[in-house]
Amino acid sequence: MSKEFFTTFHCLDDIGVISLSGSPGNIIPQPAFVEPELFDEWTSRPGLKALIIRGEGRNFSSGGDPSLILQLSARGNDLERSLEAGHRLLNRIEDLDIPVIAAINRICFGGGLEIALACHIRVVSANALLAFPEVNHNLVPGMGGTYRLPSLAGQAQAAVTSLGGDIVTAADALKMGIVDHVAPADAAFDYALALARKMTSDRPLPLIRSVMKVLNNSRTLPREEAMAEETRLFCLLARDEAERRKNGGD
Amino acid sequence: MAICWTLENGIGTITLDNPPANILKMEFFSELADHLEMARCAPDLKAIILTGRGRHFSSGADVAELLEASGPETMLRNYRALAGMADLAVPVIAAIRGVCLGAAFELALHCHFRFGSADAVVGLPESNYNLMPGIGGLERMAGLTGKARALELILRGSTMDARDAYERGLLDAIFPRQELLPAAIAFALSLPHDINPGYRELYLHKYLPKDQNIERT
Repeated sequence: MSKEFFTTFHCLDDIGVISLSGSPGNIIPQPAFVEPELFDEWTSRPGLKALIIRGEGRNFSSGGDPSLILQLSARGNDLERSLEAGHRLLNRIEDLDIPVIAAINRICFGGGLEIALACHIRVVSANALLAFPEVNHNLVPGMGGTYRLPSLAGQAQAAVTSLGGDIVTAADALKMGIVDHVAPADAAFDYALALARKMTSDRPLPLIRSVMKVLNNSRTLPREEAMAEETRLFCLLARDEAERRKNGGD
Repeated sequence: MAICWTLENGIGTITLDNPPANILKMEFFSELADHLEMARCAPDLKAIILTGRGRHFSSGADVAELLEASGPETMLRNYRALAGMADLAVPVIAAIRGVCLGAAFELALHCHFRFGSADAVVGLPESNYNLMPGIGGLERMAGLTGKARALELILRGSTMDARDAYERGLLDAIFPRQELLPAAIAFALSLPHDINPGYRELYLHKYLPKDQNIERT
């Protein structure tokens, strides 16, 4: 790798932006592409209403570096440990209680696609290309891609995409349900930012968080617990709103 | 009474009966639970159809009442009534004319099937009142449209016309207003009396050919 990979964070009002940076392909050397402590620090910023993950420059990310993966695999259980760290980070993204949008221009391969799949919403540019090329190196996606893809694209399509290693265009990815919006060429970020603002600008933070928690709970909690938690969260919002109206809100 | 119940040819009809908007008061949910309990013990019941009296299905909950009276116990009881309906073995079909919003759409989302009239307007606009859907609408919508789309629709508080809702999988069919109930009844009669919700798509495919629904409107 010629240049070192790094991630940056900045805020546009109450929307946080994480950028994958470094080489032109934003090649990710470690499955945990950002330190967990740093990620927590960024995402716990007071008032943050949504998060966008993007690639600096032309591409989102071409994923991991196969030669680095093979090096790691030769060193005891280093690879296992780094994959576990990657899993934990992606689970953190998925479990976040604000919406996370992946803004994907052009190349989104392998580990890059796995990061995108952990986000709640995926916006791709019309010239985006998605793939799991791991099979071409006799590997499989190692950061939950094979687990998350079927729930979006169905078992059969997910198997074809992961096993074939084929490149999927933005339009096909939309049809398959892998992505949610197609923006004009190279304009995924502006589109994602506009979407984040439309979703959150007039909404109080407790409401955004409650909606996210309910959606996440339906994935992680047994039904009875999820139902009780949902009604509890609803009643907190209702109490706030009743209070607001009493104090002369419209 | 918030509900009118009729039983004809094995088809039970639950009519939301608080016109013109058929607003769902708290008593609606306890009546619903009672009717469903009855339905569970009715040996001849083949299907249940939910519909609204008059122009509209329902504009949803009474927000003022909700803000005043909603404790977690009441909400959970209401939620359980809907979840119990979704767990019924007999098919439950919502026949939606006019508006079906908020808690009313949550009710419809717990049905096994949703047919709309061409002029139907559906959605979960709670966030416009700084609230969220509180009785399962979020998860149900996510199950039908995918999590990403549901998140957008709910945070934006969007309502949709019938065509939009159909394209997003939130309505299973659209009929002209006069044909809606007969179509729902015909579909109900064609279904097995003991359905597996996991086969939803299969039932639609088998008993509701494409040329019977949206293509005609």
